[in-house]
Amino acid sequence: MIRRRPFTSLFLLLLLALLGWVWHERVNLQAFPDIIAAYTAKEYCSCRYVANNPAEYCRGYVKQYVPTSAFTDNPERSEVTASGLGRTHSARWLGERQGCRLTP
Amino acid sequence: MVRGLLCVALLLATVTARAESWPDKDWAKATPLAGPAVEALDTYAFPPRDDTTRQGIRTDALLVIRDGEIIYERYAAPTTASTPHLTWSISKSLMATVLGVAYGDNRFKLNDPVARFYPPMKQHPTVTMADLLHWASGLDWQEDYEYAPLKSSVVAMLYTRGHADMAEFSANTEAAGAPGQAFRYSSGDSNILSAALKGMLGHKAYMSYPWDALFKPLGIRNATWETDADETFVASSYAYLTARDLARVGLLMARDGRWGDEQLLPKAWVDFNRQPFEKYQAGQDEAVPGGHWWLNQGSPRPWPDAPADTFAALGHWGQALYVLPSEHLVIVRYGDDRDGSYRHNELLKRVLAAVQP
Repeated sequence: MIRRRPFTSLFLLLLLALLGWVWHERVNLQAFPDIIAAYTAKEYCSCRYVANNPAEYCRGYVKQYVPTSAFTDNPERSEVTASGLGRTHSARWLGERQGCRLTP
Repeated sequence: MVRGLLCVALLLATVTARAESWPDKDWAKATPLAGPAVEALDTYAFPPRDDTTRQGIRTDALLVIRDGEIIYERYAAPTTASTPHLTWSISKSLMATVLGVAYGDNRFKLNDPVARFYPPMKQHPTVTMADLLHWASGLDWQEDYEYAPLKSSVVAMLYTRGHADMAEFSANTEAAGAPGQAFRYSSGDSNILSAALKGMLGHKAYMSYPWDALFKPLGIRNATWETDADETFVASSYAYLTARDLARVGLLMARDGRWGDEQLLPKAWVDFNRQPFEKYQAGQDEAVPGGHWWLNQGSPRPWPDAPADTFAALGHWGQALYVLPSEHLVIVRYGDDRDGSYRHNELLKRVLAAVQP
């Protein structure tokens, strides 16, 4: 099999290795897409409502290489929601001392 | 006779207190620094900013205190004197300072097992308070974030799997080696300390403790310290203070834990903060770890142009609180450095040149 179909064999081996790695890292890989939305929501919330920086500055401040697809800042509720890589997260300002926190 | 001696002692104490300047509601201002060396400092710390590329040195705030008085202060928009700026990992040293007050109240000893105050650490029963303060828990923690976001324990703790209960997430990390044997910088260790403090005090007292024990006595009125969903202060990352308020903590440390007439932190605690961790190996990090503070010790010194007694609290993206007791200086530098071009040694060198008479 290996001699008759060297490329297919190599491909299958690599695929197997990849699947093994995916299984090994399954917990991290599952959580990975959440990072950008959670990071953006939390750090924007703190930039805006704890440090009291202007909205425009905070948008630039949280910008990363990975793009966000949706973003809302609701000043009445002091709540920030961001989406990216198919996941959505929100953070909310709780008070002077406790600042912002991701909502579950 | 005794009364006479007391009077003399009181008089002496008053005279000494008068000779020292302490901030009251605000800091006193001495004659501002001027001259070419100050221009050289400005040129280094405040080059033109590009808020699109965010490249280069991006200082948000630079404040220099000498003998308890402001001698230099500059901000870059939108940061101002009243902005509670994110301190990132300076928060770790702030937690150590809060813990110092608890230490002075005999709430714990350095060799106490952490599990005594925080049951999830029963998984690691021999880890002591001192081990965590040295970032030497022996836990298999991955601190890298920007270059290895998938494997990063910090990113998982702050934003994904750990954010609801960061201390528990950290305590659930497997051991990689025996505690106390090797330095391994860990935001998890700092958050376990925060949870241990909660265990010592109980939830209600803990929630106001940083203000009651540290911020209010120092006259700090605008501090924010974010908590996770379990209401544990995020000691690794999320304290916010104005530059002027952070400098108060610096002055407290510069004067060996004393604030005015009150010994707020035991001298022995500050000595522990400033004692290099003996198992640290040269080059493991950008400065030498003490008890949750960074030291300018060893050879070569991490910051060769600064005195050997310099110590600091340092945070991501260029946040720094430098304390130079022998020079009577406290320096707060807030930044938004995204590319690592900022150098502690260069800033310290230029500040020291600027303060020369």
